[in-house]
This record gives sequence, structure tokens and C-alpha cells, in this order.
Amino acid sequence: MEHVDETPVIELRHVDKHYGDLHVLRDINLKIARGEVLVVIGPSGSGKSTMCRTINRLETIDSGEVLIEGKPLPSEGRELAAMRAELGMVFQQFNLFAHKTILENVTMGPIEVLHMKREEAEARAMELLARVGVAEQANKLPAQLSGGQQQRVAIARSLAMNPKAMMFDEPTSALDPEMINEVLDVMVELARGGMTMVVVTHEMNFARRVSDRVVFMADGQIVEQGAPDEFFDHPKTKRAQDFLNSIKGH
Amino acid sequence: MSNHAKPLSIRDALYEQPGPRTRRRVAIGTAITAVLVIVGIGLIIRQFYITGQLAPRYWTFLAQPTTWRFLLQGFRGTISVALAAGVIALVLGAVLMLGRTSGIKPVAAVCRVVTDFFRGVPSLLLIYFFFLVVPQYGIRLSSFWMITLPVALAASGVLAEVLRAGVNAVPRGQVEAALSLGMRPGRIMMKIVLPQAIRFVIPSLISQLVVVVKDTTLAYVVSYPDLMQNARVLITNYDALVSMYFTVAVVYILVNFAINKLSALVAERLGVKIIR
Repeated sequence: MEHVDETPVIELRHVDKHYGDLHVLRDINLKIARGEVLVVIGPSGSGKSTMCRTINRLETIDSGEVLIEGKPLPSEGRELAAMRAELGMVFQQFNLFAHKTILENVTMGPIEVLHMKREEAEARAMELLARVGVAEQANKLPAQLSGGQQQRVAIARSLAMNPKAMMFDEPTSALDPEMINEVLDVMVELARGGMTMVVVTHEMNFARRVSDRVVFMADGQIVEQGAPDEFFDHPKTKRAQDFLNSIKGH
Repeated sequence: MSNHAKPLSIRDALYEQPGPRTRRRVAIGTAITAVLVIVGIGLIIRQFYITGQLAPRYWTFLAQPTTWRFLLQGFRGTISVALAAGVIALVLGAVLMLGRTSGIKPVAAVCRVVTDFFRGVPSLLLIYFFFLVVPQYGIRLSSFWMITLPVALAASGVLAEVLRAGVNAVPRGQVEAALSLGMRPGRIMMKIVLPQAIRFVIPSLISQLVVVVKDTTLAYVVSYPDLMQNARVLITNYDALVSMYFTVAVVYILVNFAINKLSALVAERLGVKIIR
């Protein structure tokens, strides 16, 4: 019998951040449990991407704490790199290494960071590429793939590190409409497999169908959060109601 | 989706397609310019004729194999200095660039000063330094190194800046993706940033070789037998100033033309857009 793990995988405590005079994150408090799929929505400029990026310190914070499995996120050096290696990150612009093949993109982390043997890393990479449906592209360069394919490779690249949790920073926002679903399908499958996920997105259907909890942010604050059906059908705050009304019909 | 863009000409980049009136004006302008150029060349040849520079005695020595053997020796000297200086400049330039972008404040400051110094000081001054000052400290350099080192140092400053431009051109997202995998900054520079940066600037790096080749002509200061120095010997021997300089100029133009062609070719191969 396994003991139920109560420590949140990711926790933000009183996180604050300014860009000059702009207060981009105001006293953010958030816990993400193991296996939870958390969707963050909100108008542009609400700080949702910034919040997502503070989790692996691609954005620094002014005050507060970020905890990974109860341990404070290190602020620099080898320790920070080791912690980042345990957290996957998928970007809006894919950010595949432009000069490396698809296969090399996926083996880069395991070989460079986990010091895995090349053959082993490649075998595992091919498995992951097959899982996201782009195995036959393994020897191409990123620029030769469609946006949807590139983003699926980016997901495979993160998965190759066996992450404890994955952050998705608007993963479908840069995609042509017909490619959005192929990426969302991979994410749905990940969620079903029990991956802990933080997803910043504008895909309300995905939020409603897949998430365990929706966080609504505006002006750098968490304004409202709750189970998806409850949030979408009965938003409590005026701010959330206005936002949901403004995107209706999409 | 391999869109190997053709090199963009500056005209395409700045102006729209000309209309009929503009095309007429361009045609008239072209004709007038062509006439002026032809007249100009004619006047130069006429002047040479009047002053007797076209007399056979100034040109016949160019038909002798010994002349060309001697020039070829000099040409070899030019090429070896240019290549050695180019390689040293590239390595040193990379070191200076890495130092300047390292984020370690004192190192960055020193590299910045050194880069700006070598970029700002004329090559000739550096050559005098190696020729006149360095030997006073008991350091004996061959004439090869007395020309190669200063030329390399002068170029290293420029190459450091070219490389830095390349590094800055690599999108920030590439670094963020590598960071999020847990890679360390030094490895990210080596595995992710530099390989892409060098691809961006390879055409500029090769073009910079043209400047190095031209700088090697200062070899006469230290009496190193490069193409220019050997040409000067021939000029004294045959008293043939115009014909010799004309011949050497053609050789330098051809070499540098070849280098520029090479950089354009490499740019096209790599699919890098360059504006020229």
C-alpha cells in the first residue's frame, strides 16, 4: 500500500514580481498536487505566462517562494539546473534547437544532462517520437516540420527527461487552427496518463474537458479558481464573467 | 519547406519595383555613366601613352617565367600570412567574444576594452609595435610573425564583434529551451548558441578575410617577402612602376573577388540571408 503523497509537486507562496512600475504578479499562492492538471486562463497581460515561467525560474521573482516537492527552488547554479531538469517546459514558439535534427533535439537533454548513453537515448527518443506521432520525421530539421509537428516534438523532448511535472506556456497559440487538435490530443493523453500539468491556454474546450482545476488570472492576481464545470457555468467574480462573455462564441 | 532565400540585394530591400518612367531615367543614366567611364579609361590610357608607360620595355619582363616565379613566391607568402592571421584572429576573436558575453563583470570589461582597442588601432601601428618595440624586450620574432601577429590582432577585434552579433541573433527561446532541460550556461553556449551564431555570420567572417589579405600588404614594413614586397623588388629591378602595380592590383582583386564569391556561396548553402 502506498502512502498518499500530500506534498504538492509545485507550490507558489506569496509570489510577487514587478517589471519596473508594472506589478505583474501580486501575491500568487498556488498548490499543484501530484497528477493534477491545472489550467490557467485570463486576458493577455494578466501575468499567466509569467507565473508559469517562475516555476522553473525562467522568470525570477521579487519576493515569495517557489517550492518543488516541498523544497525551495534553488536560485542558481548546478542545483537550479538539476531542478529544471525535473520539470518539463513547452513553449508557445516550440523553441526546438534549429540546428539539430528532430532526434537530436529529443536526445539532447538525456545525453547532456542525464549522461545517458547515445544508443539508449536514441531508442527512448524514437519511442517518444512514435508516441507523439512524428517518428518518421526523426532525421529532419525542425524547419522542415509543420508547427503542430514541431510542438509535438517539443513535448517529446520534455518527456525524454522523465519530468515530475510539465508546464505548457500557451502551447497552441502559435499554431494554425488545423494543427491545434493534434497537439491537444497529445496533451490529453498525457493528462490521462497521470502527468502533473500546468497549462496556460486559451483553449476553453481543453480546459473544460481535461483540467481538474481552472485558475483565472487578471492584472497579476489569481481572481478565481475552481473545478472547470463550476467555473465555466457559474463564475463567481464579475471579472471572470466579463472574460468568459468576451470569448463566447469561440 | 526549404526556403533557401536568394541573397537580398539592397535595392530590393529599400525600393519598390521601378515603373516605366523610372526605368527610362535609369536607362539614360546608365548610358551617360557608361560613356563617362569609357572616356575616363581612354584618358588614362592616353596619359600612359604620352608619358611612355606603354612602352614595351615596361611590359616585356612580365613574359619571363622568372618574374612569375618570384611573384608566386610572394603570393605564397601573402596567402600563408593571411591564413595564419585569419585562424589566429578567429580563435582570439571567439575568446574575446566569450569573455565579453560571459557575465563575469571584470572579464567582460577587460575583453571589451581589448576588443575596442584592436578594433580602433590601425594595423600599421600594431606592426610598428611588433617591429620596433617588442624586439627591445629581447623577444626575437621572425618577419613572418612580425606581420602575422599584428594583422591577426587587428582583425580579432572586428571578428569578436561579428561573432557577438551572431550570438545576439540567436533567439532567446533557444537558450530558454536548453535551460529548461537542465543544461548549464557554458554547455548551452557551446552546443546550442555558438553553432547557430557561426552559421549566421559565416559570410561576414569570410568577407573579413578580405580585410586581412589587404592588411598583409603592410608586410613590406618588416621586409617579409609577400606579393607586394616582391612586386616592389621587381619594380626597382625593371624600373616598371605602373605595369607592376597594375599586375599586382589585378591579382589582389581576383583573390578578394574569389573570397567574396566563396562567402556568397557558403551563405546560399546555409540558407542565410545576406544583404549586399
